[in-house]
This record gives sequence, structure tokens and C-alpha cells, in this order.
Amino acid sequence: MRPFKYTRATTLPSAIKELSGNAQSRILAGGTNLLDLMKEDVERPEALIDITHLPHSAVKSLSQGAAKSGVLLDALGKNSETANHLLIRSQYPMLSQAILAGASAQIRNMATNGGNLLQRTRCPYFYDVAMPCNKRTPGSGCGALEGFNRMHAVFGWSDKCIAVHPSDMAVALAALDAKVLAQNEAGQQRRLTFDEFFRLPGDAPEKDNNLQHGDLITGIELPASNFADHSYYAKVRDRSSYAFALVSVAAGLQLNGKQISDVRVAMGGVAHKPWRALTAEKMLKGKEATEANFKAAAKAEMAAAKPHEYNKFKIELGERAIALALTNALNYGS
Amino acid sequence: MEANQITGTPLNRIDGLLKVTGKAAYATDYPVKNLAYGYLFKSTVASGTITQIDDAVAKKAPGVITIITHLNAPKLNVKGGLRGGALLQGPEIKFNGQHIGIVVAETFEQARYAARLIKVQYSGDAQAKTDFEKLATQAVPAKEPEVRRGDVDSAMASAAVTVDEVYETPIEHHHPMEPHATIASWEGDKLTLYNSSQIVNGAQTSAAKTLNIAPENVRIITPYIGGGFGSKGGQWANLALAAVAAKMANRPVHLALSRQQMFNSVGLRQHNIQHLKLAATKEGKLLALGHQTTTHTAIDDEYTEPCGDCSKVLYAVPNALINYKVVPMNIIMPTYTRGPGKSTGSFALESAMDELAFKLQMDPIALRLANEPAQDPTTGKPWSSRKLVECLKEGAKAFGWHKRNPQPGKNIQGDYLIGHGVACGSYPARQRDSSAVIKLTNDNGKVQATVELAAADLGTGTYTILAQTAADGLGLPVAQVQIKIGDSDLPPAAGSVGSVGATSYANSVNDACSKITTELMMKSGKQFFVRPTAAQLMASERLSSFETRMDAKPLADADNYSAHSFNANFAEVWVNRHTGMVKVKRFLAVTAAGKILNPKTARSQIIGGNVWGIGMALTEESVIDPRWGNFITRSFADYHVPVNLDVGNLEAIFINEDDKHANKLGVKGIGEVGIVGVAGAIANAIFNATGKRVRELPITPDKLI
Repeated sequence: MRPFKYTRATTLPSAIKELSGNAQSRILAGGTNLLDLMKEDVERPEALIDITHLPHSAVKSLSQGAAKSGVLLDALGKNSETANHLLIRSQYPMLSQAILAGASAQIRNMATNGGNLLQRTRCPYFYDVAMPCNKRTPGSGCGALEGFNRMHAVFGWSDKCIAVHPSDMAVALAALDAKVLAQNEAGQQRRLTFDEFFRLPGDAPEKDNNLQHGDLITGIELPASNFADHSYYAKVRDRSSYAFALVSVAAGLQLNGKQISDVRVAMGGVAHKPWRALTAEKMLKGKEATEANFKAAAKAEMAAAKPHEYNKFKIELGERAIALALTNALNYGS
Repeated sequence: MEANQITGTPLNRIDGLLKVTGKAAYATDYPVKNLAYGYLFKSTVASGTITQIDDAVAKKAPGVITIITHLNAPKLNVKGGLRGGALLQGPEIKFNGQHIGIVVAETFEQARYAARLIKVQYSGDAQAKTDFEKLATQAVPAKEPEVRRGDVDSAMASAAVTVDEVYETPIEHHHPMEPHATIASWEGDKLTLYNSSQIVNGAQTSAAKTLNIAPENVRIITPYIGGGFGSKGGQWANLALAAVAAKMANRPVHLALSRQQMFNSVGLRQHNIQHLKLAATKEGKLLALGHQTTTHTAIDDEYTEPCGDCSKVLYAVPNALINYKVVPMNIIMPTYTRGPGKSTGSFALESAMDELAFKLQMDPIALRLANEPAQDPTTGKPWSSRKLVECLKEGAKAFGWHKRNPQPGKNIQGDYLIGHGVACGSYPARQRDSSAVIKLTNDNGKVQATVELAAADLGTGTYTILAQTAADGLGLPVAQVQIKIGDSDLPPAAGSVGSVGATSYANSVNDACSKITTELMMKSGKQFFVRPTAAQLMASERLSSFETRMDAKPLADADNYSAHSFNANFAEVWVNRHTGMVKVKRFLAVTAAGKILNPKTARSQIIGGNVWGIGMALTEESVIDPRWGNFITRSFADYHVPVNLDVGNLEAIFINEDDKHANKLGVKGIGEVGIVGVAGAIANAIFNATGKRVRELPITPDKLI
């Protein structure tokens, strides 16, 4: 590990100030990804600003009175506590399932909600400093494009980068239309939709998201959800636990009788960011909630996929996972 | 053996408390003073020559003591017995990940940091041999001997039913929980190596020969081993390089491999392409068996996993051709990996048998019973004992085989397709020369024994079974027996490899017990109507101490018999019909392995092998990018071993077997056989569940949708 300066921040504003003062500094929260990457020499920060101990870890209802107005996840809330929180389990079961589908119990106990969004790709070419990787070393090339790309993107990739975002939690958050709250040195608060927060690789795959250096995620806002009765997170992976998704799907249905009045479908393991399956959503809105309609929507969504040599299976698997998640969402609780 | 009371009982591990309380010292746990830390750095090309090493910045990095490369390393004997080369003897690169130097520093982190500051230039080699799929066609006959009887092709041409298929298994890695680790410490000419070693004396002689010093100047200390699975049998360059680093730093050096380095430092199970041919009558009598394995080896050394071994012994078949082809490649040397050849070979053979049974519309167990050989079909020797039929029959009963639906894809419950499969396995039973010293003391009537031999305990129960054997052999309670192993200063013993450990050690300790008892009887000068125990003699003769040494050898006529452990494996899988994800709900291994010294540690051995077999069947695969010859799967996030949720209920049954010929105690060994037949049973169960025959491991979800 390269030598680095370690600071323990006393407040979030002081952490942001410290962060802004050095372009080579990083925030240390759960450390479950950053420290691994430092040991592998992939991340080489000059300074770490530790915020783990700061009291900024609540799960708060934003409701006042009877009207449901959503929930705020503080950035330093642990993944495990969030997944098991009554508000999340009752109002956002898909989020709870997605978090619990990720990593291992030990990692979820350390990992924070803000950090979860900022975890870096698990592309093996990114992890091995002897390999070319535009995300790690801009301009060095993409090892995966013509390499072992079984785990890689089928949507939204560029010839500079075909990596996928590894988070399960973020997939459910994307489906739920969550907003990312970020604060900068000037004290300005930004509220970013997932579309504004995450990005596709394009010509600058070194950027995972649209935060500026000096921005700190302070929380994640979940809008009031009408999907709690019919939601599901399906994850297909190479083993039953502790594996990244080949394909995952967060699905939520809002029903009016048999008719779908609103629907959310987001996918993991297929793109540089959690992938909202807007084609499928559009097809399903107003239709009857039947397996045949789910399959047709799934097929339409995956029709736009562009696979690589070793991940062609993701097209059929994606279709199956979308249909499965929607079917299980429909039957949720029954 | 004397009065038999404790052997054969499920005694808890006598070293268990030490381990769960963290008091058992593993290789790098020793509190050696003034320790420095080494970090290996490695080539990033698969072939070529190092043209420049720029370590100017690294040398000045904090804490750096010395940097060792081929430019300043001492001359070592590359034929000293260490596997895989990479001894810093020259600029030539033979595989990606070859060690090219060591940084020694005050701390591990400083050594690793400095290693990353070193810039290495290579003159590349465009001809690097890294793509096995392409090179397989250039494979040539291997040194592994061929078995040929009759004419397989003629039998195939005229038989009523045939199977002619290719099965493929990927590179796998051993990945013991404890990565390879050494502390090397010199005192004058004397070298102590605290080093995780499956073969204590082998580590000693190979380190000594490689370092060009006398074996008696090298001491290996390895009382506890955190697993090895073959990768700590033959030792690798890191052992000698730790000693070199300690010499050059003039300090004791700690050299441990990282998990990532484990992928290209200590061997692997090679990628095998197995071509199976079976011919049978329509009644299911086997007429021919062809088993050709094509695989790869190191560019300058040959090891071939004997995938045809189970095909040599499992079934009676008049025509057989079992042979090997191999292609040298710029990949690290392959090596023994749990159930070497048998685990991968039985996957191919037992899948083909299942395919044959399906074509014959015959029950897979009935097919196997119909081809039970009266003697070893390859050597013609009589079996020392063989209870494969009992394994199959008792297993079928315990598993509820009769409830299996023979038609694939018909057993559906909700989202799941359920299937049942069976596969057999075998592993040779061998005893190797092992010596043991027994020291008895008598403190006012309390007799205690110390048993000493340079045996190795991989974590599997060697301490416990030897304490049981000695307790029975001497007439003492287990608590009054102390076992000293894992030290090359002790009497030389076989390795804990190839399922020879328990057999060789227990027989030598048992023979030593008989010898010391006889010597004590003679010393007493008395006549006995009933043979007394050594403990009784120590007390009655009021001896304060007595010791003897036994150099045990296999039975003189052991070679006249074909001795193997056999098993039958039964799997129930649930395959998610939407996602292709597989769960092994139930797994039953029925094993006939002679005398079982401790049913508890034996069960752990078997189910441990079963778990790895589940990994082999479903999850484990090391992938090389042929452009660089490097492992793309290089962490436990990429190389998937099974997790608890993948592994359902495991059950192990041992068939009572009294083997009079394999060795005096009738012990056959269980370390290897537990993984043999497992992948086949699971693949066959998946076929029964889904109707899909997957001939390429691992069977990941994408192969089932």
C-alpha cells in the first residue's frame, strides 16, 4: 500500500473542506471497496478522510401527518441496518431484498449507503494494474472489450469501457426513483436523480458518476412508494450468495385490479450504471399484469442489448430475469 | 494391534481446542525475533526476457533492506526438487506471474510498496503459448503410461449402443485457507524453515538440494497446516527464496503469498479435454472403453493429471484404450490437486456411463452392477478388498433411489426442476515407508507415551488418529499419549499426500507399539500367557523410561493386490427453471475405505471433499486471457468456491470393510476419494432434472437456460 495521510473528520463540513483541499484525497466510510483497491494499488489516494464514526446514519421518515412522503437514508447508515429497518422492509421491500442480495453479512455490516453507490466496478482488468483499463488508467485501452467479458455490459457501453456497476442496492434505488443528496464545500446541497448521478462510460470511463471532487453524498432520498405490495428483487449469479450479478432485476408493480397502473423495472449486471428498463416499463403501463405481457416486455427490453463474445447469454437471461422479477412482484406476499 | 477400544471411535480432535482458541501456531505465527518481511514481485508477460530492472527508487523507499533479482541472486540448483522453476536464476520468462524478484523490508506493507516502484522491461515473445483451446490440437503423447487391451475402435463400430463424447474441465486452484507462507532463519550454516509442508522430509531435501546445502542443515517446522490439497506437497520456489532472502538480508525473513499470488505461484489443476468412448451390448455389458485426455503442462516440465485412473479400475471391459496427450505452454506448472485425475476423470467416465444408461433405458446403478469386475481389469491382480457393489446398494437404499423418476425433466416443484444422479469413484490405497519413535515414561505408576514422527497434519485429524492408534497399541488412555509431528528432526515419515498419510503413519505407530511391547516383554525375562500391554509392563517392571524406533514398511506381498478405496455418490439437485441456478439439496457419499480410524474426522474429510466436488461441478473455474497468459480470475470474488447456501445436507456412510491385504491395519485412506465422483453425480442429477447434458464444467446458470 502506498503511504497516505489519514485524518479523522470531526464534522461532515470539515470532511468536505478537507476533501476539497486535495484532489488526491478520498473519503473513507465503510472502506469495504476502497481499502481493497488500495491494497491492489488500483486506488492511490494521498489522503484518507475518515468519516465512519460521524453520527450520520439514521433512516428517517419524511412523512408529516398521514400523508406518506418518503424516507431519507443518511449516507453513513450501514447497509445491513438499512436492509433490516422496519420502514424499509415495510415500504421498500425491494430495496431490502436488493441490499441483502449483495456481498456478505460481514461486508454489509461495514458498508455504508453512500459508499454503496460509489463502489467501483469489479471488472478484473480494472483490478489488475498490469492490464490495460481506461477506467483505471485513461488511454491505456479496454482489456475486457476483446477479452474475458462474461460479466460485462450489454447496454450503454462504449469501445472505451464495457464495465458494469456492481451494486445491487443501487438497482433497487434506481427502480424506486431515489435521489442522491450531495453537499459541497460552499455548503450547497444538490439533489440528483439517478439519471443525473450515474453516467455511461462514453469517452471518459474514469468517471463513474457526475459528482465533482469535493462533493460528499450526505443521504439518499426515497420518494413515497406505492410499490410495496408488489415488488421483487431477482438476482441471477454463479453461486447462491457472495457473487456479483450475472443479471439482476428490481421490479415493482402498482395495480388497479388486474391492470398495471405503474411499473418500475431496473437491471443490474448489464450496464455501467443501474439500468432502468424504460422500454419494458412503457410497454407494460396500462396493460394487464400477465406472464405473457411480462415476457413480451422483457423481450422488447433486451432486444436493444449488444453483447460481447462471452456474455451473449445475458440476453436470454435478462429476459428471463425481468419476467421472473415481475411475476414474483405480482405474486409478492401471496 | 492390541486391545482395540479407542481406534474406530469418533473421538474429538485432540488439537481442536488449540485451534479454536488460536493457540496452534501456523508457519508465520512463530515469534521469531528481528524478523524482516519479503514480498515477491512477478512477471507481467508470459514469455520473453527481462532486459532491464529499474529499482533505484524502490531501493530508497522507506524500510527497504534489500532487493533480490536474477542479477544478484545466488546460484541455486534448479533441479533440486522444487516445482515450477521461478528461482530467479536468469532473465528468461516462462509464464505470466513467474517470480522475478523479492523486496525485503522492515514491514510487509513497506516491502509491497517498494515492489510496486520497480520498473521492469521485457523483450517480448510473440510466440508465447497461452491459448490452450488452440494449442490442444498440437498436443503430443504424454509420459503418463498408456493402457491398451483389445481393440476399442472395432468394438465401437459393431456395438449395439455407444457413447462418444468430449468432456471438458477448467483450470482449478487449490486455495487452502492458509496461503503458502514461510519464515526462514539462519544460524551459521543451519537453516530453519517454518513452512507449511504436506511432506516434511520432502520439503527438507528439496530446499537443501536447491540451496546446495546438506539436508541435515535444514530443519522444517510445520506442526499445523491450514490445508494444502496437493499444493503444499511438492514445494515451490517461495520456500527456497525465503531462505535466499534471509541470507541476503542477514535477518530472519517472513515470506507469505497473497491470495492473488496463489493463482500463479503454487501450481494448479490443469484444463482437461477428455474424449470418452463407451460401447455396450443392449443388455448393458461393456465392450469397450476409450479415455483420451488432452491437457497442458509447463513449458519446460511435464505433469499430467491421470484422468484415466478410474477408467482403469471401475468396470469390467474387454477392450480399453486409456492414454494422454499434452502440450507445453507458458502457464505455471500443474500439480497434484485433490483427487488428482480421479476427480476430473470420473466426471467424464461417470457422465458417459450415465449417458450410456439413458441410451439403454437402464437404471444407472444396474448398469454399474452389471459391469462389476472380479479382479483389477487393467493389472489382472485380485482386489485387496472391493465393496463398490455394497456402496451402490446401501447408498441406493439410504438415498431413496427407487423414488427417482428415470425420465428427465419430469420432476417439477414450483420454480424448480428436481433431479437425482449417481456416480462412482476410486482412489488407490498405498502404504509408504514411515518411521516412528515411541518414548515411554513412568512417573510413580503413571505411564505416559510420546510418539514422534515427521508426519504432517493438514488439519484433517492426523494427531487424533495417531493418538488413538498409540493408545490402543500401548494400553494407555488417549490423554496419556502425546503426538509430536511436523518437524524434520523427528523420524522420517511419508507425506500427507495421495491418501497415504493415515495408512503409513498409523501402521508405523501400530508397528512401533507392537515392537516396544515385545521389547519390554523380553526385557522383563518373564513368560506371559496373555500378551500384556506396554503400559502394564512399564508399571510391573518399574521402568522409569523406555523407548524404541520402528522403521515400518508395507506388507511384503502388498504389490500382489490391487488396493483402492471405492465410493458411490448420490446427488439431489434443484435447478431453478427460470434462472438456471442449481442447488445441491442432498448429497450422500457411501465410501468403502477399509478400516475407519475415526468416523468423525473421516466424515469431515469426506464431506470436505464433497464440498470441493460441488465447487468443481458448479462454480470453480480459473480463466486465462491468452493475450497475456495471465489469470483473469485472480481473487475470491472472481474464483467462486461454493458458499454455505450452495451446499445442502451432506451425509457420509462408511461401509464396513476388513481389508487383509492392503496393509496390516487394513486402512485405505480417505483424503482423496471424497472428491472423486462428486461432479459426475451432480452433472448426472442435473441431466435427470433438466434433460440437459452439460459436458463442460463448471455448470453455471448460463449453461442451463
